[in-house]
Amino acid sequence: MAVLLMEAVMKAYNGTPAIQDLSLTVDSGEIVGLLGPNGAGKTTCVRLLTGVIHPDAGKLKVLGLDPQTDGDELRQQCGVLTESAGLYPHMSGQDNLLFFGQLYGVRDRQRCDELLDQFGLKEAKDRNVGTYSTGMKKRLGIARALLHRPRLLFLDEPTNGLDPEGARDLLTYIRRLNEDEDVTVVLCTHLLRQVESLCHRYIFLHRGQLLEEGTLPTLEAKYLQDIKLALETDISEAALREAGFTLLAPLQRRPVLRIGDRSQIPEVLRSITQLGSVYSAEILERDLETLYFKVRGDRA
Amino acid sequence: MNKQAIWALALKDMKAVTSSVQIWLPMVIIPVVFCLLIPLGMVLGLRFYSLDALGDIQALVNTMEGLPAGPMRDSIMQWESLEQQLLFFMAVYIMTPLFLLIPLMVASIIAANSFVGEKEGRTLESLLFAPVDLVSLFIGKVLSAFLPAMLVTLGCAVLYSLTINIAGAPLMGRWILPQWNWLAMLFYVVPAMSLGAILFNVAVSARVKGFQEAYQMGVMVILPVFALFFGQVTGLLLFSIPIMLAVGTVVFAISWWAMTRLARSFDRNRLFSSQVR
Repeated sequence: MAVLLMEAVMKAYNGTPAIQDLSLTVDSGEIVGLLGPNGAGKTTCVRLLTGVIHPDAGKLKVLGLDPQTDGDELRQQCGVLTESAGLYPHMSGQDNLLFFGQLYGVRDRQRCDELLDQFGLKEAKDRNVGTYSTGMKKRLGIARALLHRPRLLFLDEPTNGLDPEGARDLLTYIRRLNEDEDVTVVLCTHLLRQVESLCHRYIFLHRGQLLEEGTLPTLEAKYLQDIKLALETDISEAALREAGFTLLAPLQRRPVLRIGDRSQIPEVLRSITQLGSVYSAEILERDLETLYFKVRGDRA
Repeated sequence: MNKQAIWALALKDMKAVTSSVQIWLPMVIIPVVFCLLIPLGMVLGLRFYSLDALGDIQALVNTMEGLPAGPMRDSIMQWESLEQQLLFFMAVYIMTPLFLLIPLMVASIIAANSFVGEKEGRTLESLLFAPVDLVSLFIGKVLSAFLPAMLVTLGCAVLYSLTINIAGAPLMGRWILPQWNWLAMLFYVVPAMSLGAILFNVAVSARVKGFQEAYQMGVMVILPVFALFFGQVTGLLLFSIPIMLAVGTVVFAISWWAMTRLARSFDRNRLFSSQVR
Protein backbone atom coordinates (compact mmCIF):
# COMPACT_ATOMS: atom_id res chain seq x y z
CA MET A 1 0.00 0.00 0.00
CA ALA A 2 1.39 3.40 -0.97
CA VAL A 3 1.91 5.69 2.01
CA LEU A 4 3.32 8.43 -0.14
CA LEU A 5 2.30 9.54 -3.57
CA MET A 6 3.46 12.34 -5.84
CA GLU A 7 1.73 12.84 -9.17
CA ALA A 8 3.02 15.23 -11.82
CA VAL A 9 4.23 17.63 -9.15
CA MET A 10 5.78 20.96 -10.14
CA LYS A 11 7.51 23.44 -7.88
CA ALA A 12 9.57 26.49 -8.73
CA TYR A 13 11.36 29.05 -6.55
CA ASN A 14 11.26 32.56 -8.03
CA GLY A 15 10.73 31.11 -11.48
CA THR A 16 13.55 28.57 -11.19
CA PRO A 17 12.13 25.05 -11.40
CA ALA A 18 13.02 22.85 -8.42
CA ILE A 19 10.66 19.94 -9.13
CA GLN A 20 9.43 19.19 -12.64
CA ASP A 21 6.60 16.82 -13.40
CA LEU A 22 7.69 14.43 -10.68
CA SER A 23 5.67 11.30 -9.96
CA LEU A 24 6.69 8.67 -7.43
CA THR A 25 5.31 6.39 -4.74
CA VAL A 26 6.64 4.85 -1.56
CA ASP A 27 4.99 1.79 -0.06
CA SER A 28 4.34 1.14 3.59
CA GLY A 29 7.32 -0.41 5.36
CA GLU A 30 9.84 0.55 2.70
CA ILE A 31 13.17 2.26 3.18
CA VAL A 32 13.62 4.37 0.08
CA GLY A 33 16.77 6.25 -0.83
CA LEU A 34 16.20 9.56 -2.60
CA LEU A 35 19.45 10.05 -4.46
CA GLY A 36 20.86 12.86 -6.49
CA PRO A 37 23.45 15.62 -6.42
CA ASN A 38 22.95 18.93 -4.63
CA GLY A 39 20.08 20.80 -6.24
CA ALA A 40 18.41 17.62 -7.50
CA GLY A 41 15.26 18.42 -5.50
CA LYS A 42 15.57 15.93 -2.63
CA THR A 43 15.02 18.46 0.16
CA THR A 44 12.24 20.18 -1.79
CA CYS A 45 10.51 16.78 -2.03
CA VAL A 46 10.63 16.39 1.76
CA ARG A 47 9.26 19.89 2.26
CA LEU A 48 6.45 19.30 -0.22
CA LEU A 49 5.58 15.94 1.28
CA THR A 50 5.36 17.36 4.79
CA GLY A 51 3.23 20.30 3.66
CA VAL A 52 5.60 23.07 4.71
CA ILE A 53 5.70 24.31 1.14
CA HIS A 54 3.03 23.92 -1.48
CA PRO A 55 3.36 22.61 -5.03
CA ASP A 56 2.62 24.82 -8.02
CA ALA A 57 0.85 21.92 -9.70
CA GLY A 58 0.27 18.20 -9.26
CA LYS A 59 -1.13 15.93 -6.58
CA LEU A 60 0.36 14.88 -3.25
CA LYS A 61 -0.97 12.30 -0.83
CA VAL A 62 0.90 11.19 2.29
CA LEU A 63 -0.53 8.68 4.78
CA GLY A 64 -3.88 9.27 3.11
CA LEU A 65 -3.72 13.01 3.81
CA ASP A 66 -3.25 16.05 1.63
CA PRO A 67 -0.12 17.84 2.91
CA GLN A 68 -1.47 21.19 1.77
CA THR A 69 -4.76 21.04 3.65
CA ASP A 70 -4.08 18.49 6.42
CA GLY A 71 -0.54 19.64 7.19
CA ASP A 72 -0.65 19.60 10.99
CA GLU A 73 -2.38 16.23 11.12
CA LEU A 74 0.19 14.84 8.72
CA ARG A 75 3.18 16.34 10.53
CA GLN A 76 1.88 14.72 13.73
CA GLN A 77 2.56 11.36 12.07
CA CYS A 78 5.85 12.25 10.36
CA GLY A 79 9.31 12.65 11.77
CA VAL A 80 11.77 14.90 9.96
CA LEU A 81 15.49 15.21 10.43
CA THR A 82 16.74 18.26 8.58
CA GLU A 83 20.31 18.56 7.39
CA SER A 84 21.21 21.15 10.02
CA ALA A 85 19.41 19.28 12.88
CA GLY A 86 17.74 22.60 13.89
CA LEU A 87 18.32 22.48 17.64
CA TYR A 88 18.64 25.29 20.20
CA PRO A 89 22.31 25.66 21.18
CA HIS A 90 21.64 27.56 24.42
CA MET A 91 19.40 24.77 25.71
CA SER A 92 20.49 21.38 27.05
CA GLY A 93 19.89 18.23 25.06
CA GLN A 94 17.12 17.21 27.43
CA ASP A 95 15.45 20.64 27.32
CA ASN A 96 15.52 20.55 23.52
CA LEU A 97 13.71 17.22 23.52
CA LEU A 98 11.23 18.36 26.18
CA PHE A 99 10.49 21.53 24.19
CA PHE A 100 9.87 19.70 20.92
CA GLY A 101 7.95 17.06 22.88
CA GLN A 102 5.49 19.79 23.87
CA LEU A 103 5.13 20.90 20.26
CA TYR A 104 4.44 17.32 19.19
CA GLY A 105 2.06 16.72 22.12
CA VAL A 106 4.37 14.20 23.83
CA ARG A 107 3.65 14.43 27.54
CA ASP A 108 5.69 11.38 28.49
CA ARG A 109 8.98 12.60 29.96
CA GLN A 110 10.18 9.01 30.00
CA ARG A 111 10.11 8.97 26.22
CA CYS A 112 12.76 11.72 26.17
CA ASP A 113 14.97 9.83 28.65
CA GLU A 114 14.52 6.63 26.67
CA LEU A 115 15.66 8.31 23.44
CA LEU A 116 18.57 10.11 25.11
CA ASP A 117 19.69 6.75 26.43
CA GLN A 118 19.14 5.00 23.12
CA PHE A 119 21.27 7.52 21.24
CA GLY A 120 24.08 7.59 23.78
CA LEU A 121 23.33 11.08 25.04
CA LYS A 122 22.35 10.27 28.62
CA GLU A 123 25.63 11.54 30.04
CA ALA A 124 25.47 14.76 28.04
CA LYS A 125 21.74 15.45 28.50
CA ASP A 126 22.30 18.45 30.80
CA ARG A 127 24.96 20.04 28.64
CA ASN A 128 24.06 22.86 26.27
CA VAL A 129 23.66 21.62 22.71
CA GLY A 130 26.10 24.32 21.60
CA THR A 131 28.86 22.25 23.20
CA TYR A 132 27.86 19.03 21.39
CA SER A 133 29.89 17.52 18.55
CA THR A 134 28.31 17.31 15.07
CA GLY A 135 27.59 13.63 15.63
CA MET A 136 25.89 14.28 18.96
CA LYS A 137 23.72 17.00 17.41
CA LYS A 138 22.75 14.66 14.62
CA ARG A 139 21.81 11.92 17.09
CA LEU A 140 19.77 14.38 19.13
CA GLY A 141 18.09 15.53 15.90
CA ILE A 142 17.08 11.94 15.16
CA ALA A 143 15.86 11.49 18.72
CA ARG A 144 13.71 14.59 18.21
CA ALA A 145 12.34 13.22 14.94
CA LEU A 146 11.34 10.00 16.75
CA LEU A 147 9.85 11.59 19.87
CA HIS A 148 6.22 11.17 18.79
CA ARG A 149 6.73 7.66 17.32
CA PRO A 150 6.13 8.68 13.68
CA ARG A 151 4.85 6.25 11.08
CA LEU A 152 6.87 7.93 8.37
CA LEU A 153 10.38 9.24 8.76
CA PHE A 154 12.11 11.71 6.45
CA LEU A 155 15.86 11.84 6.94
CA ASP A 156 17.77 14.50 5.05
CA GLU A 157 21.47 13.61 4.90
CA PRO A 158 21.32 11.76 8.23
CA THR A 159 24.94 10.59 8.22
CA ASN A 160 26.51 13.89 7.16
CA GLY A 161 29.12 14.83 9.74
CA LEU A 162 29.05 11.48 11.52
CA ASP A 163 32.18 9.39 12.03
CA PRO A 164 32.10 5.85 10.57
CA GLU A 165 31.00 4.29 13.87
CA GLY A 166 28.31 6.92 14.34
CA ALA A 167 27.03 6.42 10.80
CA ARG A 168 26.98 2.64 11.19
CA ASP A 169 25.11 2.81 14.51
CA LEU A 170 22.58 5.21 13.08
CA LEU A 171 21.92 3.10 10.00
CA THR A 172 21.56 0.00 12.17
CA TYR A 173 19.03 1.87 14.29
CA ILE A 174 17.06 2.96 11.22
CA ARG A 175 16.95 -0.62 9.97
CA ARG A 176 15.76 -1.85 13.37
CA LEU A 177 13.11 0.85 13.51
CA ASN A 178 11.88 -0.17 10.09
CA GLU A 179 11.86 -3.89 10.90
CA ASP A 180 10.53 -3.78 14.45
CA GLU A 181 8.12 -0.85 14.29
CA ASP A 182 7.26 -0.90 10.60
CA VAL A 183 8.29 2.74 10.16
CA THR A 184 8.52 3.80 6.52
CA VAL A 185 11.70 5.73 5.84
CA VAL A 186 12.57 8.18 3.07
CA LEU A 187 16.24 8.93 3.15
CA CYS A 188 17.86 11.72 1.14
CA THR A 189 21.56 11.37 0.71
CA HIS A 190 24.52 11.56 -1.60
CA LEU A 191 26.66 9.30 0.61
CA LEU A 192 25.85 6.25 -1.46
CA ARG A 193 28.14 3.67 0.12
CA GLN A 194 26.60 4.20 3.53
CA VAL A 195 23.01 3.52 2.47
CA GLU A 196 23.70 0.77 -0.02
CA SER A 197 22.86 -2.03 2.38
CA LEU A 198 20.00 -0.16 4.03
CA CYS A 199 17.52 0.89 1.36
CA HIS A 200 14.99 -1.44 -0.23
CA ARG A 201 14.61 0.82 -3.24
CA TYR A 202 16.25 3.85 -4.79
CA ILE A 203 14.84 6.89 -6.56
CA PHE A 204 17.29 8.91 -8.63
CA LEU A 205 16.54 12.60 -9.12
CA HIS A 206 18.18 15.05 -11.48
CA ARG A 207 17.20 18.71 -11.60
CA GLY A 208 13.88 17.97 -10.01
CA GLN A 209 13.01 15.17 -12.42
CA LEU A 210 12.78 11.45 -11.91
CA LEU A 211 15.72 9.83 -13.62
CA GLU A 212 15.30 6.24 -12.55
CA GLU A 213 13.94 4.11 -9.75
CA GLY A 214 14.22 0.52 -8.66
CA THR A 215 15.75 -2.02 -6.31
CA LEU A 216 19.44 -2.79 -6.52
CA PRO A 217 18.90 -6.06 -8.49
CA THR A 218 16.57 -4.43 -11.02
CA LEU A 219 18.95 -1.52 -11.50
CA GLU A 220 21.83 -3.96 -11.86
CA ALA A 221 19.95 -5.98 -14.46
CA LYS A 222 19.20 -2.84 -16.41
CA TYR A 223 22.50 -1.01 -16.19
CA LEU A 224 25.20 -3.66 -15.62
CA GLN A 225 25.38 -5.17 -19.08
CA ASP A 226 29.12 -5.42 -19.24
CA ILE A 227 30.11 -7.60 -16.31
CA LYS A 228 33.61 -7.66 -14.88
CA LEU A 229 34.45 -10.76 -12.87
CA ALA A 230 37.59 -10.73 -10.66
CA LEU A 231 38.96 -14.19 -9.84
CA GLU A 232 41.12 -15.36 -7.01
CA THR A 233 42.74 -18.30 -8.75
CA ASP A 234 45.97 -20.13 -9.49
CA ILE A 235 45.12 -20.26 -13.21
CA SER A 236 47.42 -18.07 -15.29
CA GLU A 237 46.11 -15.26 -17.45
CA ALA A 238 47.59 -17.00 -20.48
CA ALA A 239 45.59 -20.13 -19.75
CA LEU A 240 42.41 -18.11 -19.38
CA ARG A 241 43.08 -16.32 -22.67
CA GLU A 242 43.78 -19.60 -24.35
CA ALA A 243 40.42 -20.90 -23.09
CA GLY A 244 38.75 -18.04 -24.98
CA PHE A 245 38.04 -15.52 -22.20
CA THR A 246 38.46 -11.77 -22.67
CA LEU A 247 40.73 -10.36 -19.98
CA LEU A 248 40.87 -6.81 -18.68
CA ALA A 249 43.61 -5.21 -16.57
CA PRO A 250 44.12 -7.27 -13.39
CA LEU A 251 42.86 -5.96 -10.09
CA GLN A 252 45.23 -6.47 -7.17
CA ARG A 253 46.90 -9.32 -9.07
CA ARG A 254 43.55 -10.96 -9.69
CA PRO A 255 42.65 -11.63 -13.32
CA VAL A 256 39.50 -9.80 -14.44
CA LEU A 257 37.22 -11.38 -17.05
CA ARG A 258 34.78 -9.45 -19.20
CA ILE A 259 31.47 -11.26 -19.52
CA GLY A 260 28.73 -9.99 -21.79
CA ASP A 261 25.77 -11.04 -19.72
CA ARG A 262 25.00 -11.87 -16.11
CA SER A 263 23.30 -15.09 -17.17
CA GLN A 264 26.60 -16.40 -18.51
CA ILE A 265 28.29 -16.35 -15.09
CA PRO A 266 27.41 -19.94 -13.98
CA GLU A 267 28.67 -21.40 -17.26
CA VAL A 268 31.87 -19.31 -17.08
CA LEU A 269 32.56 -20.50 -13.54
CA ARG A 270 32.01 -24.14 -14.53
CA SER A 271 34.46 -23.76 -17.42
CA ILE A 272 37.12 -22.05 -15.29
CA THR A 273 37.02 -24.62 -12.52
CA GLN A 274 37.93 -27.19 -15.17
CA LEU A 275 41.18 -25.27 -15.71
CA GLY A 276 42.33 -25.07 -12.08
CA SER A 277 41.44 -23.92 -8.58
CA VAL A 278 39.18 -20.92 -8.08
CA TYR A 279 39.04 -19.53 -4.51
CA SER A 280 36.68 -16.64 -5.11
CA ALA A 281 34.88 -14.81 -7.90
CA GLU A 282 33.63 -11.23 -7.43
CA ILE A 283 31.47 -9.16 -9.75
CA LEU A 284 33.12 -5.74 -9.89
CA GLU A 285 31.48 -2.33 -10.11
CA ARG A 286 28.07 -3.48 -9.05
CA ASP A 287 27.88 -1.15 -6.09
CA LEU A 288 25.36 1.65 -5.77
CA GLU A 289 27.92 4.30 -6.64
CA THR A 290 28.72 2.67 -9.99
CA LEU A 291 25.02 2.27 -10.70
CA TYR A 292 24.44 5.89 -9.73
CA PHE A 293 26.94 7.10 -12.31
CA LYS A 294 25.61 4.73 -14.93
CA VAL A 295 22.07 5.96 -14.29
CA ARG A 296 23.20 9.56 -14.46
CA GLY A 297 25.26 8.84 -17.57
CA ASP A 298 26.25 12.04 -19.33
CA ARG A 299 24.56 14.14 -16.69
CA ALA A 300 27.20 13.28 -14.05
CA MET B 1 -5.05 26.96 18.78
CA ASN B 2 -2.51 24.83 20.59
CA LYS B 3 -2.14 26.21 24.15
CA GLN B 4 0.60 23.76 25.09
CA ALA B 5 2.70 24.82 22.11
CA ILE B 6 2.04 28.51 22.76
CA TRP B 7 3.36 28.25 26.32
CA ALA B 8 6.24 26.00 25.36
CA LEU B 9 7.35 28.51 22.75
CA ALA B 10 6.89 31.54 25.00
CA LEU B 11 8.78 29.92 27.89
CA LYS B 12 11.54 28.76 25.58
CA ASP B 13 12.02 32.27 24.24
CA MET B 14 11.89 33.84 27.68
CA LYS B 15 14.58 31.44 28.89
CA ALA B 16 16.65 32.42 25.87
CA VAL B 17 16.43 36.05 26.97
CA THR B 18 17.70 35.25 30.43
CA SER B 19 20.51 33.12 29.06
CA SER B 20 21.85 35.87 26.79
CA VAL B 21 23.78 38.49 28.72
CA GLN B 22 23.66 40.85 25.73
CA ILE B 23 19.89 40.91 25.99
CA TRP B 24 19.27 40.91 29.73
CA LEU B 25 22.08 43.25 30.78
CA PRO B 26 20.53 46.37 29.16
CA MET B 27 17.22 45.31 30.68
CA VAL B 28 18.85 45.50 34.11
CA ILE B 29 21.10 48.52 33.60
CA ILE B 30 18.46 50.83 32.14
CA PRO B 31 15.93 50.27 34.96
CA VAL B 32 18.64 50.73 37.58
CA VAL B 33 19.74 54.01 35.99
CA PHE B 34 16.28 55.38 35.25
CA CYS B 35 14.34 53.99 38.20
CA LEU B 36 16.92 54.21 40.96
CA LEU B 37 19.88 56.48 40.20
CA ILE B 38 18.18 59.34 38.32
CA PRO B 39 15.14 59.63 40.64
CA LEU B 40 17.40 59.36 43.65
CA GLY B 41 19.61 62.15 42.30
CA MET B 42 16.49 64.19 41.54
CA VAL B 43 15.02 63.82 45.05
CA LEU B 44 18.29 64.31 46.89
CA GLY B 45 19.08 67.38 44.77
CA LEU B 46 15.78 68.99 45.73
CA ARG B 47 16.15 68.03 49.36
CA PHE B 48 19.72 69.04 50.02
CA TYR B 49 20.53 71.81 47.54
CA SER B 50 18.94 75.18 46.97
CA LEU B 51 17.12 75.53 43.64
CA ASP B 52 19.69 78.09 42.46
CA ALA B 53 22.43 75.51 42.91
CA LEU B 54 20.63 73.01 40.67
CA GLY B 55 21.59 74.69 37.44
CA ASP B 56 19.08 75.69 34.80
CA ILE B 57 15.95 74.65 36.64
CA GLN B 58 14.05 77.77 35.61
CA ALA B 59 12.98 76.21 32.32
CA LEU B 60 11.31 73.39 34.24
CA VAL B 61 9.65 75.84 36.63
CA ASN B 62 8.36 77.84 33.66
CA THR B 63 6.92 74.71 32.03
CA MET B 64 5.24 73.72 35.27
CA GLU B 65 3.80 77.16 35.88
CA GLY B 66 2.72 77.45 32.27
CA LEU B 67 0.51 74.36 32.50
CA PRO B 68 -3.11 75.13 31.64
CA ALA B 69 -5.68 75.07 34.39
CA GLY B 70 -7.01 71.60 35.07
CA PRO B 71 -6.55 68.53 37.24
CA MET B 72 -2.86 68.22 36.32
CA ARG B 73 -2.03 71.77 37.40
CA ASP B 74 -4.23 71.40 40.51
CA SER B 75 -2.49 68.22 41.58
CA ILE B 76 0.87 70.03 41.40
CA MET B 77 -0.18 73.30 42.95
CA GLN B 78 -1.72 71.58 45.98
CA TRP B 79 1.84 71.37 47.31
CA GLU B 80 3.08 74.37 49.22
CA SER B 81 6.78 74.76 48.48
CA LEU B 82 8.33 75.05 45.04
CA GLU B 83 10.60 72.08 45.86
CA GLN B 84 7.57 69.92 46.62
CA GLN B 85 5.80 71.07 43.47
CA LEU B 86 8.85 70.37 41.36
CA LEU B 87 9.40 66.92 42.83
CA PHE B 88 5.75 66.03 42.30
CA PHE B 89 5.82 67.43 38.76
CA MET B 90 8.96 65.53 37.84
CA ALA B 91 8.15 62.29 39.64
CA VAL B 92 4.58 62.00 38.46
CA TYR B 93 4.63 63.65 35.02
CA ILE B 94 8.09 64.27 33.60
CA MET B 95 9.43 60.81 34.36
CA THR B 96 6.26 58.94 33.42
CA PRO B 97 7.15 58.43 29.73
CA LEU B 98 10.00 56.26 30.96
CA PHE B 99 7.45 53.62 31.75
CA LEU B 100 6.58 53.66 28.12
CA LEU B 101 10.19 53.70 26.99
CA ILE B 102 11.26 50.67 29.01
CA PRO B 103 8.57 48.20 27.90
CA LEU B 104 8.76 49.36 24.30
CA MET B 105 12.51 48.85 24.33
CA VAL B 106 12.28 45.39 25.92
CA ALA B 107 9.38 44.33 23.72
CA SER B 108 11.05 45.57 20.56
CA ILE B 109 14.37 43.84 21.23
CA ILE B 110 12.73 40.49 21.95
CA ALA B 111 10.08 40.72 19.24
CA ALA B 112 12.51 41.85 16.55
CA ASN B 113 14.49 38.72 17.25
CA SER B 114 11.44 36.43 17.25
CA PHE B 115 11.26 34.86 13.80
CA VAL B 116 14.51 36.17 12.41
CA GLY B 117 16.34 34.76 15.46
CA GLU B 118 14.90 31.32 14.70
CA LYS B 119 15.96 31.76 11.11
CA GLU B 120 19.51 32.80 11.96
CA GLY B 121 19.78 29.91 14.42
CA ARG B 122 18.45 27.56 11.71
CA THR B 123 15.66 26.41 14.02
CA LEU B 124 12.76 27.98 12.12
CA GLU B 125 12.71 24.93 9.89
CA SER B 126 12.28 22.64 12.92
CA LEU B 127 9.42 24.79 14.21
CA LEU B 128 7.66 24.78 10.85
CA PHE B 129 8.01 21.01 10.58
CA ALA B 130 6.19 20.63 13.91
CA PRO B 131 2.43 19.97 13.95
CA VAL B 132 1.65 23.41 15.32
CA ASP B 133 -0.61 25.88 13.53
CA LEU B 134 0.98 29.21 12.66
CA VAL B 135 -1.47 31.20 14.77
CA SER B 136 -0.17 29.36 17.84
CA LEU B 137 3.44 29.98 16.78
CA PHE B 138 2.60 33.63 16.26
CA ILE B 139 0.86 34.02 19.63
CA GLY B 140 3.72 32.20 21.37
CA LYS B 141 6.16 34.68 19.86
CA VAL B 142 3.99 37.67 20.85
CA LEU B 143 3.67 36.39 24.43
CA SER B 144 7.40 35.77 24.71
CA ALA B 145 7.99 39.49 24.20
CA PHE B 146 4.89 40.78 25.96
CA LEU B 147 5.35 39.01 29.29
CA PRO B 148 8.99 40.07 29.88
CA ALA B 149 8.11 43.64 28.85
CA MET B 150 5.30 43.72 31.39
CA LEU B 151 7.41 42.09 34.10
CA VAL B 152 10.30 44.51 33.60
CA THR B 153 7.89 47.46 33.60
CA LEU B 154 6.23 46.29 36.80
CA GLY B 155 9.63 45.77 38.43
CA CYS B 156 10.70 49.23 37.30
CA ALA B 157 7.50 50.77 38.61
CA VAL B 158 7.99 49.19 42.03
CA LEU B 159 11.65 50.24 42.16
CA TYR B 160 10.84 53.77 41.01
CA SER B 161 7.95 54.17 43.45
CA LEU B 162 10.01 52.96 46.38
CA THR B 163 12.90 55.26 45.46
CA ILE B 164 10.69 58.34 45.12
CA ASN B 165 8.55 57.51 48.15
CA ILE B 166 11.33 56.60 50.54
CA ALA B 167 13.84 59.23 49.47
CA GLY B 168 11.18 61.91 48.97
CA ALA B 169 9.12 61.29 52.14
CA PRO B 170 11.09 63.80 54.32
CA LEU B 171 10.35 66.55 51.75
CA MET B 172 6.79 65.59 50.83
CA GLY B 173 5.60 64.36 54.24
CA ARG B 174 3.98 61.28 52.71
CA TRP B 175 4.33 58.77 49.89
CA ILE B 176 3.23 60.25 46.58
CA LEU B 177 3.22 57.21 44.30
CA PRO B 178 1.27 55.60 42.79
CA GLN B 179 -1.07 58.18 41.29
CA TRP B 180 -4.16 57.30 39.24
CA ASN B 181 -2.80 58.69 35.97
CA TRP B 182 0.32 56.69 36.60
CA LEU B 183 -1.62 53.46 37.15
CA ALA B 184 -3.64 54.10 34.00
CA MET B 185 -0.38 54.50 32.15
CA LEU B 186 1.14 51.32 33.59
CA PHE B 187 -1.81 49.00 33.32
CA TYR B 188 -3.54 50.30 30.22
CA VAL B 189 -1.37 52.41 27.92
CA VAL B 190 1.84 50.40 28.42
CA PRO B 191 0.28 46.99 27.60
CA ALA B 192 -1.51 48.50 24.60
CA MET B 193 1.59 50.22 23.24
CA SER B 194 3.79 47.20 23.94
CA LEU B 195 1.39 44.90 22.14
CA GLY B 196 1.34 47.25 19.16
CA ALA B 197 5.13 47.45 19.05
CA ILE B 198 5.45 43.68 19.41
CA LEU B 199 3.01 42.99 16.59
CA PHE B 200 4.86 45.35 14.31
CA ASN B 201 8.22 43.83 15.24
CA VAL B 202 7.02 40.24 14.90
CA ALA B 203 5.54 41.02 11.49
CA VAL B 204 8.81 42.64 10.42
CA SER B 205 10.84 39.80 11.90
CA ALA B 206 8.94 37.26 9.84
CA ARG B 207 9.75 39.09 6.64
CA VAL B 208 13.29 40.44 6.85
CA LYS B 209 16.55 38.61 6.32
CA GLY B 210 18.48 39.43 9.48
CA PHE B 211 18.21 40.69 13.06
CA GLN B 212 19.88 44.03 12.33
CA GLU B 213 17.34 44.80 9.64
CA ALA B 214 14.48 43.71 11.90
CA TYR B 215 15.73 45.83 14.76
CA GLN B 216 16.26 48.94 12.64
CA MET B 217 12.79 48.69 11.17
CA GLY B 218 11.31 47.90 14.57
CA VAL B 219 12.74 51.08 16.09
CA MET B 220 11.02 53.13 13.39
CA VAL B 221 7.61 52.49 14.91
CA ILE B 222 8.73 53.69 18.33
CA LEU B 223 10.15 57.03 17.21
CA PRO B 224 6.88 58.80 16.36
CA VAL B 225 5.38 57.59 19.63
CA PHE B 226 8.29 59.11 21.52
CA ALA B 227 8.17 62.32 19.60
CA LEU B 228 4.57 62.67 20.73
CA PHE B 229 5.01 61.70 24.35
CA PHE B 230 8.29 63.48 24.99
CA GLY B 231 7.21 66.69 23.32
CA GLN B 232 7.15 69.10 26.25
CA VAL B 233 3.70 70.50 27.06
CA THR B 234 1.73 68.57 24.44
CA GLY B 235 3.27 65.36 25.74
CA LEU B 236 2.51 66.20 29.34
CA LEU B 237 -1.12 66.89 28.53
CA LEU B 238 -1.46 63.35 27.26
CA PHE B 239 -0.90 62.09 30.79
CA SER B 240 -4.35 62.97 32.00
CA ILE B 241 -6.48 59.95 32.80
CA PRO B 242 -9.21 60.45 30.13
CA ILE B 243 -6.66 60.95 27.36
CA MET B 244 -4.65 57.94 28.45
CA LEU B 245 -7.75 55.78 28.58
CA ALA B 246 -8.66 56.97 25.10
CA VAL B 247 -5.14 56.43 23.74
CA GLY B 248 -4.97 52.97 25.34
CA THR B 249 -8.35 51.99 23.89
CA VAL B 250 -7.44 53.17 20.40
CA VAL B 251 -4.05 51.40 20.48
CA PHE B 252 -5.64 48.21 21.82
CA ALA B 253 -8.25 48.32 19.07
CA ILE B 254 -5.59 48.83 16.40
CA SER B 255 -3.43 46.08 17.92
CA TRP B 256 -6.34 43.66 18.02
CA TRP B 257 -7.19 44.40 14.42
CA ALA B 258 -3.53 44.06 13.42
CA MET B 259 -3.16 40.83 15.37
CA THR B 260 -6.13 39.13 13.75
CA ARG B 261 -4.99 40.29 10.32
CA LEU B 262 -1.40 39.25 10.90
CA ALA B 263 -2.40 35.88 12.34
CA ARG B 264 -4.53 35.24 9.25
CA SER B 265 -1.82 36.40 6.87
CA PHE B 266 0.79 34.11 8.38
CA ASP B 267 1.24 31.35 5.88
CA ARG B 268 3.60 28.41 6.40
CA ASN B 269 4.34 28.09 2.72
CA ARG B 270 5.25 31.76 2.41
CA LEU B 271 7.20 31.89 5.67
CA PHE B 272 9.11 28.77 4.74
CA SER B 273 9.77 29.82 1.17
CA SER B 274 11.01 33.28 2.13
CA GLN B 275 12.87 32.51 5.35
CA VAL B 276 14.29 28.98 5.07
CA ARG B 277 17.06 28.27 2.62
